[in-house]
Amino acid sequence: MRLSILTSTITLAAAFVATSLMADGHLSLAGKRIGVAVVGTQHFWDREAFNGATSTVEKLGGEVVPVDGGRDNQVHADNHDVLLANKVDAVISILGDGAVEPKFEALKNAGIPVFTVDHPSPHGVNNTTSDNYYMGTTIGRYMADAIGGEGKVAVFNAFEGALRICGIRAGLWKYVLQDYPNIEIVQPELAEEFANAPEDARKKTLDLLSQYPEGTLDAIHVGCWDQPAIGVVQALEEAGRSDILVTALDGGPDTLEIMAEDGSPFVANVAQQPNLIGSTSAMNVARHFAGEKLLPQTYVDVYPVNGQAEAKAAYKSLGYGTLD
Amino acid sequence: MIAIQFVRKLLEWVPVAVFALMFIFLGIEAPTLFTPFTIDLMLKQAVPTVVVSLGLAVVIITGGDDVVSGGIDLSIPAAAIIAAAIIADQVTNHGTALPIALAFALLAAITVGALNAFLVVMIRMTPLLATLASSVAVVGITKMITQSKRINVTDPFIVFLRDGTVIGLSAGVVAAGLLTLIYWFLMHQTRWGMQAQATGGGREAADISGISTKRYQAISFLLAAFTGFLASMFVLARGSGSSPGTEENLLLEMVLATFLGAAFSPRRKVTVWGAALGAVLVAMLSVGFKSIGVNVFWTGCIKGALILIVVASAAATTRGRY
Repeated sequence: MRLSILTSTITLAAAFVATSLMADGHLSLAGKRIGVAVVGTQHFWDREAFNGATSTVEKLGGEVVPVDGGRDNQVHADNHDVLLANKVDAVISILGDGAVEPKFEALKNAGIPVFTVDHPSPHGVNNTTSDNYYMGTTIGRYMADAIGGEGKVAVFNAFEGALRICGIRAGLWKYVLQDYPNIEIVQPELAEEFANAPEDARKKTLDLLSQYPEGTLDAIHVGCWDQPAIGVVQALEEAGRSDILVTALDGGPDTLEIMAEDGSPFVANVAQQPNLIGSTSAMNVARHFAGEKLLPQTYVDVYPVNGQAEAKAAYKSLGYGTLD
Repeated sequence: MIAIQFVRKLLEWVPVAVFALMFIFLGIEAPTLFTPFTIDLMLKQAVPTVVVSLGLAVVIITGGDDVVSGGIDLSIPAAAIIAAAIIADQVTNHGTALPIALAFALLAAITVGALNAFLVVMIRMTPLLATLASSVAVVGITKMITQSKRINVTDPFIVFLRDGTVIGLSAGVVAAGLLTLIYWFLMHQTRWGMQAQATGGGREAADISGISTKRYQAISFLLAAFTGFLASMFVLARGSGSSPGTEENLLLEMVLATFLGAAFSPRRKVTVWGAALGAVLVAMLSVGFKSIGVNVFWTGCIKGALILIVVASAAATTRGRY
């Protein structure tokens, strides 16, 4: 039943996007050079958001000037200087930390409108992002349910203070847990690395497991994304620990595959649509040039994934293929 | 014999030729590259690399330019990021006044230099391994300080280094230019610098002529660590705060810049001005490749290959000299 609801919601959403695309048939970026800055292309999410943005700019007749930060926030920020020097007509900037803010300001001052993805900024025209509020609360409820409403939880939470989207997701996860007085968040929180996250999280989880012997830890949650969860699951397997559940956010194909395995400790996730997010941002650039007034934030739907069956269904519905 | 000398002469020019060709290519492909605006931007991006390269140049000049047994200091970027982390943590998380935070940072950086000096001069470890080890340790401590998290910095002085101008030029660029001048003067115009060069040129001969080579080498590591401290302010300015992982790129660019500078100097020796010039060239390459849309991983690959070409050419041309 739930599966068919998920499938039909996604179909409906796809139909909606298709109609809005048709309705936006007048939109064009012909003759425009659009800079697309992405923090990295190693991870599925980043790459898909980038692909969605660049392919849509091209579909609308624009020329893409791409720059890739190689998963280094400093390089990503510096790349905006290159776009400024190239005098592009607009910039789509995907992710990035506080280092990009002065760059956005410089672009704005030079008359180049900035459209952000997953990075709300006072210097941007519009930010296109997932419904992070829903993601945070949903994963909080799912995790609390999965451990029976009580127990100890460790969290990988390096970016709550650095990236607004992570502030929302991790903050609302904690907000939900306030209503579960018997769930305790292990202190200090863990901090994953931005680059090379799975391997880094694997090591940190192994350290954590040596501090918390069998039966003393109930779940490990990744507060803002799911790449570290790959390493967390690996560490649990290596240590032969089946007493700990894993939850995370993003729902890329790599983690949905892990969730779909029999007896997987990875039990809940919320899947985003990064390609649609990138594409929507590019549409917003065209809308801006067509003289439409944009809202500061455009939200793209997310899909909660609770358990193995839903992981398989979401994998199929999101067009990643089939898992059996 | 003449043929060998000829080949050696030819090899000396390989790095210069490679770079000349690359810039001609970039200039044609990216016409905006050599506009005043882009040049200013490249200079700004080069600032942290310029500063740490000055430090590496001092260590190599004093320790000798043999990559294994001579002087090298791979821990300068680590000293820079631990200093940056301390400043950011103190100013933003603890509300410490900037001068006090700077004092803490200076102390940390100098400790790194002193550790290197101890390991190399007293314990007689190979500089390459000693500074690699201290770099790894320092990066580890930095992660403990920042908990691998980003810390924003909005201190007016740091913002001035990023956005401010002095006599129409970027404040950071002016500061880096002045530092280059000071380090150049120290190493190439003072008696101290001459004796440091003598130490690097041949330690035994310098010892015989009464120079305390150990002291010179130890001080070179301290001077290098001091550039790490200075670079920390520019790292913070460039990133508007401290971000984990900044040291990796800085290390790559520092090594490339310093040895590249040697390839461009008349006697193929590491020099202070050569290192600064090298850092600017490296920044120009980075911006140039991005401007023509070269994938970031290819840029890393190209930089790595350039280090190989430059160092291999230096090794091939110096071999016959001793």
